[in-house]
Amino acid sequence: MHGRPRKASKPEEEAASAAKAVKLRSLQSQFMTNHHDKIYTNEAIELSTKLLEINPEAYTAWNYRKLAVEDCLSRIESDPNLVNSILDEELRVVESALRQNFKSYGAWHHRKWVLSKGHSSIGDELKLLDKFQRLDSRNFHAWNYRRFVVELTNRSEQDELHYTDDMINNNFSNYSAWHNRSVLLSSLLAQNADGFMPNERIPDEYDLVHSAIFTDPDDQSGWFYHLWLLDQTLNVETPLLTSSWPSHGSTVSLSGAGCLNGSSSKFTTFCSESGSFPLILYFDQAVGGVSSSTVTTDSELKGNGDLVWEPISYKNSQVSCVWVTHLKYVSSDPCEYKVKIRVGNSPGIVSSRGHNFSAPYEFVFTAHVHDTVKDSQEGIVSWTDGFDIWDAKSKDLNSLITLDQLEAEIDFKWRQEAIDSEVECFGILSDSKIGKLTLARLLMAREAMVSDDAVKGVRYEEILQLYNDLMALDSSHYQYYKDEHSVAFLHKVTSSSESLSRHLFRYRGMNNLVCLRLNNLSLSRIASVEKLLFVQMLDLSHNELHSTEGLEAMQLLSCLNLSHNRIRSFSALDSLRHVKQLKVLDVSHNHIGKHSVDTTRYLCSSPLSNSEWSPDDVGRQNPGLVTKYWDAYFVLRDLNLKQLDIAGNEISGNEFSSFVLQIVPKLVWLDGQKLGN
Amino acid sequence: MSETTVSIDSDRSKSEDEDEEEYPSPVQSFPRPPPSVNFEKDRHLMYLEMMYELLPYHYQSQEINRLTLAHFIISGLHFLGALDRVDKDVVAKWVLSFQALPSNRVSLKDGEFYGFFGSRSSQFPIDENGDLTHNGSHLASTYCALAILKVIGHDLSIIDSESLLLSMKNLQQDDGSFMPIHIGGETDLRFVYCAAAICYMLDNWSGMDKESAKNYILNCQSYDGGFGLIPGSESHGGATYCAIASLRLMGYIGVDLLSNDSSSSIIDPSLLLNWCLQRQGNDGGFQGRTNKPSDTCYAFWIGAVLKLIGGDALIDKIALRKFLLSCQSKYGGFSKFSGQLPDLYHSYYGYTAFSLLEEPDLSPLCPELGLPLLAASGI
Repeated sequence: MHGRPRKASKPEEEAASAAKAVKLRSLQSQFMTNHHDKIYTNEAIELSTKLLEINPEAYTAWNYRKLAVEDCLSRIESDPNLVNSILDEELRVVESALRQNFKSYGAWHHRKWVLSKGHSSIGDELKLLDKFQRLDSRNFHAWNYRRFVVELTNRSEQDELHYTDDMINNNFSNYSAWHNRSVLLSSLLAQNADGFMPNERIPDEYDLVHSAIFTDPDDQSGWFYHLWLLDQTLNVETPLLTSSWPSHGSTVSLSGAGCLNGSSSKFTTFCSESGSFPLILYFDQAVGGVSSSTVTTDSELKGNGDLVWEPISYKNSQVSCVWVTHLKYVSSDPCEYKVKIRVGNSPGIVSSRGHNFSAPYEFVFTAHVHDTVKDSQEGIVSWTDGFDIWDAKSKDLNSLITLDQLEAEIDFKWRQEAIDSEVECFGILSDSKIGKLTLARLLMAREAMVSDDAVKGVRYEEILQLYNDLMALDSSHYQYYKDEHSVAFLHKVTSSSESLSRHLFRYRGMNNLVCLRLNNLSLSRIASVEKLLFVQMLDLSHNELHSTEGLEAMQLLSCLNLSHNRIRSFSALDSLRHVKQLKVLDVSHNHIGKHSVDTTRYLCSSPLSNSEWSPDDVGRQNPGLVTKYWDAYFVLRDLNLKQLDIAGNEISGNEFSSFVLQIVPKLVWLDGQKLGN
Repeated sequence: MSETTVSIDSDRSKSEDEDEEEYPSPVQSFPRPPPSVNFEKDRHLMYLEMMYELLPYHYQSQEINRLTLAHFIISGLHFLGALDRVDKDVVAKWVLSFQALPSNRVSLKDGEFYGFFGSRSSQFPIDENGDLTHNGSHLASTYCALAILKVIGHDLSIIDSESLLLSMKNLQQDDGSFMPIHIGGETDLRFVYCAAAICYMLDNWSGMDKESAKNYILNCQSYDGGFGLIPGSESHGGATYCAIASLRLMGYIGVDLLSNDSSSSIIDPSLLLNWCLQRQGNDGGFQGRTNKPSDTCYAFWIGAVLKLIGGDALIDKIALRKFLLSCQSKYGGFSKFSGQLPDLYHSYYGYTAFSLLEEPDLSPLCPELGLPLLAASGI
């Protein structure tokens, strides 16, 4: 109907159309009578056939036919010839309806229903499918039906894979065929079927997709498949330990509340009021099952029996990349203690995809407990002055950030080779947007695999340049490239001790605490946190961050500057709730409160609507304010802040300030003002 | 309408343009005037009013979806701020006449579904025993019926929602998906969405097992980030909408997912964002699947997903607006592709898309319900 002039119909056409309508109406009403009165004679069934041939959308008629077939089958007992002829007739009606509209859900479903009666011949079904898939090779009804038939008849996945070969060779642009191929291959690779070992098979797939991409670089299908292949290449099933704090071979200096006496130059100094320090494990993928039996601790520190490990993630989830426990120490008992940790001592650490942590890993560090002499002062932390350039030798840093269990991975070589050959291949295609993006992704993957210090980090400049080009070329996806640029930039910063030390400073105000300053870098996303677990003071001001996601792993963090970013609500700071050491937080000059969340619109807009919430004192005294500022309430009440800067946000004002004082009673500094007692 | 199959509208049918070609013909045999640079509100109003009075014969194969067509017209009029053109009492009475009511409480356990019929041709009069014959009430029609009632401001608390919801449970399968009618039918994400929207509109979740529905949805996410209609199928714009909107309605994903902590999210939002953004083509419009032409309705299906996950700032809105205007008919309404005649389905999703783009003259949109935002009636 589309594309035809509507008003130009001639009188005779009008008449024909009217006659057709009359005929349809009479068919329809006769059919309804039959249906209502449960008449299943041949004549009545024939009538529904006619109706469906005119309008395959009449699902009532399909339902009628199902009842009619059941009725007929019950009457003929089990004469196989009769059963076959009844069901054959159904298949014929479906086929003729599909010729009328091959996108009719009702017709395809009716065919599935017939097949599920045990009536099928795989040859016939595949022949029919070939016909429809030739007509429209993207018809997803046909593809879905094909997968149904294959499963029903146990046709081999290898045979189906050959079918996708044909379809792809026929037309490289057929994304449906590529999709089916990835589904089939995933299954075959997972089974380690004969001829489908990843290291043998995946390189062949790269060859196939190259021929598609190089034939028409503007076609999306091949690129998506390539992305999937890259994922298969990088996907190491076994979870691995990426980093820990304290790291292997390091010495941490521990003291009680306040600052350490004297000028200990070790920057792995940690002070705690509670007399305990966190032990952090960072895995390359989310795992569950970290406990005192899967991770054993052999230490001379007293009072540490069975340790309780907690996943740092959403409260209901028992899987996470980051796991933490706390080790106790007594600061009046200065001494050095060795601590030995064995991860994977007994089986039980399992990735969320069900793979076991299979390579036990052991690391040792020294805990140097100091006497506490000086009391802490509740001075204000300034982010503008009091910083000295980092002067330590980078050797110190090495012991903090190196841990690469990746090298232990035996199945690593083919992956590296595959990525290398892809990098070489796409170097020449990088004049298109998708070519640049693919090359940038490949180079990132390559860098992640490099362990040789001599060549580590050399390609980051190239990656950053690719994302810069993309931002300029393709403004509609600017933010996406920007985020990737930030990730690559942070990988570069953390790729070597030299580059990291350029961002390290000492803050005199807190006894030369080490401060990582990543301000003014137009970062829009946080990454590489696994290499920054030691950081206690972090300056991320003057960036373009929307959220603090990722920072939850930094369990030592006590001072954080997020001023002049793009935080839109306190919910975006949710991950900070896990950072129990956080004392100083600057979120001034963001967009908090500018985009108000309309809490009346959403079912679960606020956790207040969850049953698990029970109001505390503030909630009881000020239910109105809690409802108004629920996102601030839920984040701030879980933090132990002493200093908060909130000025320069839409939300700030007298009402909000007084609300903050109620939920954070221990606060000493608010927006630079010391609070009276 | 090859792609639009996903939506609630076209659950059972597609044939309104059954003889349409798969791709629009790129060359027009006669010169066409350049498309208007404005959203022609008055013409759209005229178009909908015309449809309200009388449906053209093109829709005859859609007879079975009469309630759906009515929803497009009435909710469309609301977007245009012209709901006063509708006699609300007459509409409410008409819609309610399609409700399937159980004859007594016992029959609620008989496995049937007591929702709404799509049209008279799937509805029989109640027999002398007060029983329904061949109760073919349908989830999608039920969604549309409730949507119309909501939009015209009818008080939903006075309809028999208990039998509707109790019996709706009969439609949910072990894998969490829903059948559209109790007699049987294909199960996929469209009907999970209908069920979630129905529970949401009736403010009562006793009609479904949310946890198992959630698991079904998660099984439909493909490796490229989008969602297919059933597990293992190819990512599709409409299916992706059904997935994300259902998760939102059920409360499994929060507002502004991308800005918040995505490690705590049950879906992979960055992969989803990636897939959605790649669907915007060079012509500014959105396609439903990889390597398909842009189509008006996906401006809504995918635009709404982006809105729901907080990624709508990344849409090239100027280009999208330009594409939509190229599909605006000079008679009012929108067509699937530029240069074709308009239809109700694409017109309605054209209006929702313009509402998403914050066109000043249109009612704001509630993206998860696909309806105008109705503060007064609690949406």
